[in-house]
Amino acid sequence: MSMKNYLAILLTMIFLGCSDSKEKPEPEPEDEGKDRKAMLTHIADNIIIPSYDNFQVKFDLMVTKSNAFAAKPDAATLTEFRAAWVDAYTAWQKVELFDFGPGEKHTIRNFFNIYPASEQGINASIADPNASMETPDSYPKQGFPALDYLINGIGATDAAIIAQYTTAPNAAAKLAYIKRVTERMDSILDKVTSEWKGAYKETFITKTGLDIGSSTSLLVNGYVLHYERYIRSGKFGIPSGAMLNGVPAPEKVEAFYKKDISLTLAKTAHQAYIAFFNGKSVRTDGTGPSLKTYLDALGAKDSSTGKSLTELLNAQFEASQTKLNALKPNLSEEVKTNNQAMKDTYNEMQKAVRMLKVDMTSAMSITITYTDNDGD
Amino acid sequence: MLAYFNKYSPAATLALFRVIFGIMLFLSICRFWAKGWIRDLYILPKFHFAFYGFEFIRPLGEWTYFLFGICAVAALMVALGVLYRFAAVMLFVSFTYIELIDKSTYLNHYYFVSMVSFMLIFLPAHASFSMDAYRNKRLLADQLPSWCIDSIRLLVCIIYFYAGLAKLNSDWLLHALPLKIWLPAKNDLPLIGSLFNYEWTPYFFSWAGCMYDLSIGFLLWNRKTRPLAFVSVIIFHLLTAILFPIGMFPYIMIVTAFIFFPGEFHQKVIDTISFALSLPIQFIRPKRSYIVSSITKPFLMAIFGLFFVFQITFPFRYLLYSDELFWTEEGYRFSWRVMLMEKAGYTQFTVTDASGKKQIVNNNDFLTRLQEKMMSTQPDMILQYAHMLRDHYAAAGFDSPQIYVDSYVALNGRMGKPMIDPAVDLARQTDSFQHKSWIIPFNDEIKGL
Repeated sequence: MSMKNYLAILLTMIFLGCSDSKEKPEPEPEDEGKDRKAMLTHIADNIIIPSYDNFQVKFDLMVTKSNAFAAKPDAATLTEFRAAWVDAYTAWQKVELFDFGPGEKHTIRNFFNIYPASEQGINASIADPNASMETPDSYPKQGFPALDYLINGIGATDAAIIAQYTTAPNAAAKLAYIKRVTERMDSILDKVTSEWKGAYKETFITKTGLDIGSSTSLLVNGYVLHYERYIRSGKFGIPSGAMLNGVPAPEKVEAFYKKDISLTLAKTAHQAYIAFFNGKSVRTDGTGPSLKTYLDALGAKDSSTGKSLTELLNAQFEASQTKLNALKPNLSEEVKTNNQAMKDTYNEMQKAVRMLKVDMTSAMSITITYTDNDGD
Repeated sequence: MLAYFNKYSPAATLALFRVIFGIMLFLSICRFWAKGWIRDLYILPKFHFAFYGFEFIRPLGEWTYFLFGICAVAALMVALGVLYRFAAVMLFVSFTYIELIDKSTYLNHYYFVSMVSFMLIFLPAHASFSMDAYRNKRLLADQLPSWCIDSIRLLVCIIYFYAGLAKLNSDWLLHALPLKIWLPAKNDLPLIGSLFNYEWTPYFFSWAGCMYDLSIGFLLWNRKTRPLAFVSVIIFHLLTAILFPIGMFPYIMIVTAFIFFPGEFHQKVIDTISFALSLPIQFIRPKRSYIVSSITKPFLMAIFGLFFVFQITFPFRYLLYSDELFWTEEGYRFSWRVMLMEKAGYTQFTVTDASGKKQIVNNNDFLTRLQEKMMSTQPDMILQYAHMLRDHYAAAGFDSPQIYVDSYVALNGRMGKPMIDPAVDLARQTDSFQHKSWIIPFNDEIKGL
């Protein structure tokens, strides 16, 4: 290289260096919304952890009421236990969607909310205090659905239910089983919340990539799966028979024995899902960095209409919400008498599933496989 | 032309390429094995997506490990030049067999490896610096016909150039897709990460990548531009290694680029290694030329001639199909189309029969996540899977089952839409090289090649 060329380059670099340092001190990232660390921090601090806290309060109260019932099973303690169970079950709908990180590691959902409950299995476990509570076939014998059966379904009337815990020959064993179920739930919940409040939160916030195993990828995969499998299929697709052989299964709704809260639970779960998408804080009324703001920052939109993907998704959530609002509180009864409305809800949710699974994950470039890929 | 085929070049070039290629392949197989992918990709899946016309390639169950073992040993033997021709055949056959077991594992760089190992079968890459030549002095040579080296160079040039041609389309150049989607995903990388938050970055990468692909072969071939070209090869491939999950490919391409260096360079490398190993000078510089016998020469010419006619024409077969290539993927594979699409899909299959039985299929009952992901965006795999479901449910008591699919596919940032006609019974459709009429037209245009 000639001296002249060398000098030219040197001068250019000096010039660029000067103008850089004087006129535009630090090139700011174009859009804060693309900062995944901020999103993960907000989600952990202002959504997940306070949601678990709220649930913990309701859950602890339920355990207290359950102990009171065990100490003195009568109409008053049963009513209080039931009310606390409804509150806790409802609060659970706001944390079930965190099916990633500690929740996924401890498969908390398997031990809290596999329904329909297995009456036969529960009765067998009452008889055998050493029955495993770990194996997959034990899932429908525990958690909220098992409690549902034990306090709402084990007798035809309240008096009959109370008799199961007072005069029945295995009354003590049944009370012991309720304790076993709540203690088990307590210990798993304890593991999950203590990890969120411990080292995992830091891991969650710092693994900002999008490859397999990174927080956003785990979060999105768990989040999408939750809508597809547990809101759409579990609450509507399976009971209505839209999924399987077209045969309705009214006994497969959530909270089957309590009867009148299945819609409330579904609505609560659906609202929590939407709130999570939009980054609604559980601590305050505001919102923060979320899947929505991230997608907006990426500029994800329908190129033919110019509408943003988040706008379309929120509209689709809204449409599902409308279908939910048209249902009566007892979904089991709806399956029997108004099943088309159940199927309509399922079909409406199916549209959101596609958008979440395909449009959202694709726009975010979420990796779902771990093998080499050359993008074809 | 005739004069060209009588030209000779240092045998060291091809010998060193053989060594590097063999070692890289051996390492690739070890890596694949260590990651547990043999089990995940070839043993655990209940169903495999055979290539059309290659249905006789069957998965081997636990014997797949044996197959990989053969492939690894063959790669090492090629590197060392032990029983070279036999080893090259084993390498080509075992590697290609593995790649043909399941479409969902298709990668262009595996195809590249298959094609190079095919060429190596016929090339005298063992004439220099090999165990064979060490033992058999009649084989030993330090010069061999130039076309033997140039044929590998030509293949590498075709690959880059065609990869560049494939980028000459409106999505890549005008909309910077799919890089606009992929790059922000890397904005948390140290140093360069924040670059990916800027609007212009994917455009810059798209255009630079396209120009790189189109020109790099020529720049490597030309003596004057070679040093700079090689530096850009290293930068380009290291960057792709950082940004994308493409495994060994970047490193294979970097070392492959050595083949463009002059023979004296390779001779020097071999001299240095031989000196360190105290190999005799007669072995390093035998002062002999490798002569292709006049009987085999016409065969070789014919094979390589046909090979290159195939390489040049086959990627253009997509022109025979009417609808958008990226949407139908008819004529997409084996054409050096890399990193061109962000495509995601969702498929839900319904099985019914005349008696009114109906079942919605959970794809995870039959496919791995990778298989489901690949199947959901590729019509030929959707059909294969539908046929598998047909046979499965026929055996499970459905009376000549009908298979329908609700599909939803998003391509390069467009909103998803149905790809397969939901009213068509896929159980009755047959696969062929004809256009699949049950693919719903793309109704959009991606201009260009």
